[in-house]
Amino acid sequence: MAAASPLHRSLLGAPVIGGAAVVGFLIAWWVSAKSFDPMRIPQPGDVWDAAVQLATTGYAGGTLAQHTLQSIMLAFMGFAVAAGTALPIGLAMGMSRSAEAVFGPIVAFIRPIPPLAWIPLAIIWFGLGDGAKIFVIWFTAFVPTLINTFTGVRTVDPTIIAAARVHGAGPRRMLLDVILPGAAPLIFSGLRVSLQASWMALVAAELIGAFFGLGRVLMTAAQDIFPGMIVVAMAAVAVCGATMTWLLGVVERRCLPWLKVTP
Amino acid sequence: MSGIAFTDVTRAFERKGGAFQALEPVTLHVPDGEFVAIVGPSGCGKTTLLRLAAGLDHPTTGSVMVGGRAVTGPGPDRAVVFQQFALLPWKTVRQNIGFGLKCRGMSDAEARPLVERYLATMRLEGHGDSYPHQLSGGMQQRVAIARSFILEPEVLLMDEPFGALDAQTRIEMQEELIRLTAGQRRTVLFITHSVEEATYLADRVVVMAGRPGSVREIVDVASLRKAERWAERPVEEVMELDSFIRIRTRLWRLLRSAGAHRDDAATHTLPIAS
Ligand SMILES: Nc1ncnc2c1ncn2[C@@H]1O[C@H](COP(=O)(O)OP(=O)(O)OP(=O)(O)O)[C@@H](O)[C@H]1O
Ligand SMILES: [Mg+2]
Repeated sequence: MAAASPLHRSLLGAPVIGGAAVVGFLIAWWVSAKSFDPMRIPQPGDVWDAAVQLATTGYAGGTLAQHTLQSIMLAFMGFAVAAGTALPIGLAMGMSRSAEAVFGPIVAFIRPIPPLAWIPLAIIWFGLGDGAKIFVIWFTAFVPTLINTFTGVRTVDPTIIAAARVHGAGPRRMLLDVILPGAAPLIFSGLRVSLQASWMALVAAELIGAFFGLGRVLMTAAQDIFPGMIVVAMAAVAVCGATMTWLLGVVERRCLPWLKVTP
Repeated sequence: MSGIAFTDVTRAFERKGGAFQALEPVTLHVPDGEFVAIVGPSGCGKTTLLRLAAGLDHPTTGSVMVGGRAVTGPGPDRAVVFQQFALLPWKTVRQNIGFGLKCRGMSDAEARPLVERYLATMRLEGHGDSYPHQLSGGMQQRVAIARSFILEPEVLLMDEPFGALDAQTRIEMQEELIRLTAGQRRTVLFITHSVEEATYLADRVVVMAGRPGSVREIVDVASLRKAERWAERPVEEVMELDSFIRIRTRLWRLLRSAGAHRDDAATHTLPIAS
């Protein structure tokens, strides 16, 4: 295995293995759908029909594009609110002991509350509209970015901070040229967790109550006992989540060029 | 006015099970424009002393003055070359060298010619856009030296600045340092493990002893250097002079008797001696 030739490696490369796995999965799906109750396991053809229906005539009050756009927009707004508040608070907590003393206990209290537990409160306060979703995402996605930003700031090499100080860095340069870049790798891993949490929280919130969105499609399809549509909506949720995570990775590589060049 | 005065300075660190005395009362005066080298066994408190002068740390008792003023924090009159380089990993070589200038509000365009000059002086041409981790240890050290020299501080605080350099580059950097300090009289506090380096560069060599750190002896080199015009001769020639060898040997003996870590001092000085 270890002595595989270049030819072997290119033949057994990741894309080929991945492609074979997908084909194998489709065959297994088709076979099992044939041999079980079609109301429980949809056949590939049913899923295709459901996808076409959702994309063209629409389902659960909108087309695929409308539902997807609604979900992505809300997830992104919730994520932006969460990141936009967690980042400055995390930075402040990392840089000042008094900020840590103020926010630490609040965070310790919010941290163990599962995202879904916020939904009833959100619905009472904001109804079934966008505000409730953003609220739920905020409280779900806030903590990972906050904790990672805080830890990132605290773990910046003190010798580097000292070097910046003796070469004249004031508070502004210290923040922009030392603390932020030093904490950036951890901040980005916090953002990644927050982004995934945003998406999860949104779909969960839409399942419970929404007028639009992929979660709404899932819930309606469950009530209509429409397994093909459920699979389509789940696939859309997966594709959107993966795309957003990938986009964040692109931004991260842009922002951290010194990590890209391997030694 | 940029002399350094340590008066009855002690520094105790909090440790599990009580305080750890890193420096017992140390009194050391470095007059304006003097070059003082500090040698001593590992862990004897050399870096601690330098950090006090830099304003990165404060004495437990006693006073530290630079230029007649008590040190309360870092200042533009002093620059530090750290033992561990301490470059900004996310900045290129150019940005690292120009960092202090940028902090002083100089624009990129103003700083550029200076940065280019120091790139050349430190023989880092062609590496200006590299990141520190792409450089060898010796190259990183030269970036750190350039970052401090470019500010032309009155006081240079250098913690084993040439430790990671190969023998040849090390000698070139020593000659460069002599040129830089001869041009404008600068006060230099220079920590090294190399007895030869200390003898060649310094007006006075402070020998420290460890546990707790203290000044064991101060050896004067300046009068000999002036009399025999060391500064105008190549390093290898100076190192063959009887007077040089006598001082070096004396420092070695002092270091050996200074204590616990004599092996350390000996191995660090051998490569240059041969
Ligand atoms: N922040 C700190 N906390 C606790 N102890 C410290 C601290 N800094 C230094 N010390 C201790 O003080 C002593 C002197 O340390 P220092 O770094 O000054 O030694 P040094 O002479 O520079 O050694 P080296 O030649 O190995 O660099 C050591 O015993 C070290 O363990
Ligand atoms: Mg040291």
